[in-house]
Amino acid sequence: MKVIQIDERLCTGCQECVKTCPAYAIEGEHGKPQKINETMCIKCGQCVQTCKSYVSLIDHDLALYEQIKEERGIPASVREPLFAAYNVCHLREVKEALQNPEKKTMVQCAPAVRVAVAEDFGMPLGTLAPGKLAAALRRLGFDYVYDTDFAADLTIMEEGTELIRRVTEGGVLPMFTSCCPAWVQFIERTYPELTDHLSSCKSPQQMQGAVQKTYGANQNGLNPADIYSVSVMPCTSKEFECSRPEMQDSGYQDVDVVLTTRELVWLIKEQGIDFDALPEETFDQPLGDYTGAGVIFGVTGGVMEAAIRTGYELITGQQIPCVDVTDVRGTKGHRTAKVQAGDLTLKVGIISGLTDIIEVLEQVAKGTCDLHFIEVMTCPEGCVSGGGQPKLLLDADRVEAYANRRAAILSYDEKLPLRKSHENPSIQKLYADYLEKPNSEKAHHLLHTTYRKGGQ
Amino acid sequence: MEKELQRFVAADPEKCVGCRACEVACFTEHNRKTNHVGQTVGTVSTPILPRLYLTRGEGICTPVQCRHCEDAPCMLACTLHAIERKNNQIVVNEGKCTGCKDCVMACPFGAIEILPSIRNGLIEKQPDSDDNRKIASKCDCCIDNPKGPACVRACKQEALRIVELKEETDNKRQKAARILSGIKG
Repeated sequence: MKVIQIDERLCTGCQECVKTCPAYAIEGEHGKPQKINETMCIKCGQCVQTCKSYVSLIDHDLALYEQIKEERGIPASVREPLFAAYNVCHLREVKEALQNPEKKTMVQCAPAVRVAVAEDFGMPLGTLAPGKLAAALRRLGFDYVYDTDFAADLTIMEEGTELIRRVTEGGVLPMFTSCCPAWVQFIERTYPELTDHLSSCKSPQQMQGAVQKTYGANQNGLNPADIYSVSVMPCTSKEFECSRPEMQDSGYQDVDVVLTTRELVWLIKEQGIDFDALPEETFDQPLGDYTGAGVIFGVTGGVMEAAIRTGYELITGQQIPCVDVTDVRGTKGHRTAKVQAGDLTLKVGIISGLTDIIEVLEQVAKGTCDLHFIEVMTCPEGCVSGGGQPKLLLDADRVEAYANRRAAILSYDEKLPLRKSHENPSIQKLYADYLEKPNSEKAHHLLHTTYRKGGQ
Repeated sequence: MEKELQRFVAADPEKCVGCRACEVACFTEHNRKTNHVGQTVGTVSTPILPRLYLTRGEGICTPVQCRHCEDAPCMLACTLHAIERKNNQIVVNEGKCTGCKDCVMACPFGAIEILPSIRNGLIEKQPDSDDNRKIASKCDCCIDNPKGPACVRACKQEALRIVELKEETDNKRQKAARILSGIKG
């Protein structure tokens, strides 16, 4: 499936994307248009973020600009510059679903979207805007405005339970996180023999999708066949993830289509919604209910921190002394920490950006890696720096953008009344009413998956 | 006192990879105030119209921009005096320019383009018609930014630099003197 493309009419062959690509998937001669090697591309979209080869009125013309917009499915109302590297846009399908009275539209949005979406409306980098985001989605006509943060809390329940089981019952260790679809593809292709190390948990997007078309359908008295499920992601690889044939455990495609943060902005602008003037609203209940632990999934180290907050309490039965697990925070591409939970010393690692991943995978392959649990995110500082996020005009602003988005996520977590996934009352209710308990048979069927060895 | 030489930005074609980051940075710098360009692409609602031009051809890849000539042909050619010397740079007075193109004809480097004048995201109209207003556009060495030219700051390959003529000639003379004296390295 093609997700990332390079337009050869625009590419100057500067190869800045080649330097950025963590999967060595961009090929070509210097000075000539580059090509994506589909068998290597993990669809992370970092090339989309980097590319500056724009449609020029001087080298090209306005007609080409309009033609490319049409070809890419970008709304005619969009007036921003277009670049050679881009991701395939699915806005037309979303607009059709929103206009179809037969369809019940459900939307979810990822943690990192709310700290970046406002940037494309001219607000400062890293502006926190969950309230306006929820309000905008409602104005766009989505019938149910849910939140991936809910499923991030659910992921912690499932993944935390899986980890404790693997550690205490002698399962495959270290266990890798499986939230990042680009990372999942990377390991499936490059180290297929190590896929048993991936957590069997689906990503929050896919858990949310599966729950929306089952429990969510029941709750709202809907036929799941009528539900059109959209997710708004900071990520270009999520579109690939949602189209994987494994992701149909609700009996339907769990998530129908993915929009990136930038594509959502195009839709909001096209509909003439004044984002700045929107009131602060909340996400719909119960599938839009979340804790701070769900929010921090958007930054590197966040999944680990959320897992430790819950894991500690599940293992010891006692409250964690400090909810801020600062040892796992940071921005370095490879970090490790030790966490004491009762008698258990949990050794954890965090990888962001794939620069250091080969070294870790080699250690795992040789059996010399003594870590229990490793979080891996493909993008440089986790999802806040994802390929679908607002694109910076100047590379020099990247440091500020990532730092501000990260700070916004962490401060939002601090402000929320509940900061541990297992304390989310809607998650507790989901288990009580529907899933029974974490890792139950039903939870396994709906929320867990299997991986391909070397497959596309 | 003799006035200082006008500074300019020069590109090193050996280092330039053709990424266009300089053009995007140039556009961003000159449209923050007039067209509300922020830090992300989504805040842009106009075409990218830079004031330096990536020029590519067989074996060539380098941006070309104004040399800020001492006896600037564009300035001399402009009958409306819309090209001025300001803070030691040659700049277009956009209010006075009618887009007559004399400067484009005069410039030996192709460093001037006649482009739509855009304000608040909209193309300005001619004073007496509905036609789009088009005016001369050229490098002003980011005269209003104390940090210096945006293109130089944006170039990751360090292919662009502000030419300081004294340093330039001193270095070259040192090198020439060494060669002439038979000293290697």
